[in-house]
Amino acid sequence: MNDLWTNRLSEYIDGELDNNERAKLEAHLATCGQCYATLAELRQVVTRAKSLSDTPPATDLWTGIAREIRREQAPPRRDRLVRRRFSLTVGQLLAASIALVLLSGGGAWMMLHSGRQPTSTTFEAPSPAVPPRQYQSARWKVQSDMAIAELQDALSANESKLDTATVRIVRENLAIIDRAIGQAQHALRRDPNNTYLNVHLANTMRQKIELLRRANALASSES
Amino acid sequence: MPRQVLEDTLTADSIAADSALAASGDATAFERLYRTHVARVHTLVRRMIDADEADDVTQDVFIRAWQKLSTFRGESAFGTWLHRLAVNVVLARRKTVGIERGRFINEEEPLDGLSSKRVTPELSMDFEEALASLPEGARQVFVLHDVEGYRHEEIARMLGVVPGTSKSQLHHARMALRRHLER
Repeated sequence: MNDLWTNRLSEYIDGELDNNERAKLEAHLATCGQCYATLAELRQVVTRAKSLSDTPPATDLWTGIAREIRREQAPPRRDRLVRRRFSLTVGQLLAASIALVLLSGGGAWMMLHSGRQPTSTTFEAPSPAVPPRQYQSARWKVQSDMAIAELQDALSANESKLDTATVRIVRENLAIIDRAIGQAQHALRRDPNNTYLNVHLANTMRQKIELLRRANALASSES
Repeated sequence: MPRQVLEDTLTADSIAADSALAASGDATAFERLYRTHVARVHTLVRRMIDADEADDVTQDVFIRAWQKLSTFRGESAFGTWLHRLAVNVVLARRKTVGIERGRFINEEEPLDGLSSKRVTPELSMDFEEALASLPEGARQVFVLHDVEGYRHEEIARMLGVVPGTSKSQLHHARMALRRHLER
């Protein structure tokens, strides 16, 4: 085995040799069975490293972490938290609220597609506990649609006051909400009296209204 | 939408939501992030340093993550950000405890603790155990490059060495570990 070439085998595997060096090493490999065998073993090591799996700690470490967090949340920490809350971007806050909408909507989707549809007798509507019939009323839908249309018109007029990144985030989140609304409406066509779906649709539309209001408020503050 | 795709989307969305909530001071959301990521972080730490310190360092990583969440702007995935933070904590600890001396082996010397002869089946050790037996410098380069996918230039920058040293350490680590592949 030639030590000079053996020490270059890892670089060869990683594609870090130039064409000339690679050609010389390959010529050597054609005549040196030991280097050839070593190369195969090194490749196995690389493959093995990529297949290593993660394992959790033997004991739960959260208790110690939580203790430290609580200690930091003592009064002096609270001041910092208030500042941090206001330092969050609009996008982060919107992402949090939209993701929760999606989680809720996804749950509904999976329940409906797994054949285990929740019924109005077994599923308790989330708060606010407004009677489901109210959500179904034509009056409510018309009012919501009108509010959304007005806010969207306002946002179209104000959008130029927002920076590009914010506009992109708002549009992406509106698209996510619209998909959630579409899924809820689709599911309701199959099960129009489902309490959960009616409440979910109402909450999602309220999220859309709230998002549009926030975006318009932000645009107004920028002008 | 296929169920798996939907579930993956919801998982990614819930992590993004939890990271935003945790940044606003929600410890419950942060605990959910901990539960999701602790195995990955603990495994990385355990491979990079001595196993008996892994619990303490892992706790330190999450405490620092809590303290630094306000700097996480969501440009990358939360897991990526946390992973990089864990690497930084491990490497900073290495400097703090003053164990730099001797961490990089002489290229001409055999690796401590690992036989240069092929092990017999009855003496063979688990690949993870063999990895843990490597000198710290070679082990960290191997973990960062072959397990975690960092490039030599990044590793050299993080460890304060030249890329050639990182390459040399990696080769020595691989040469030692090849004798401990499970057959």
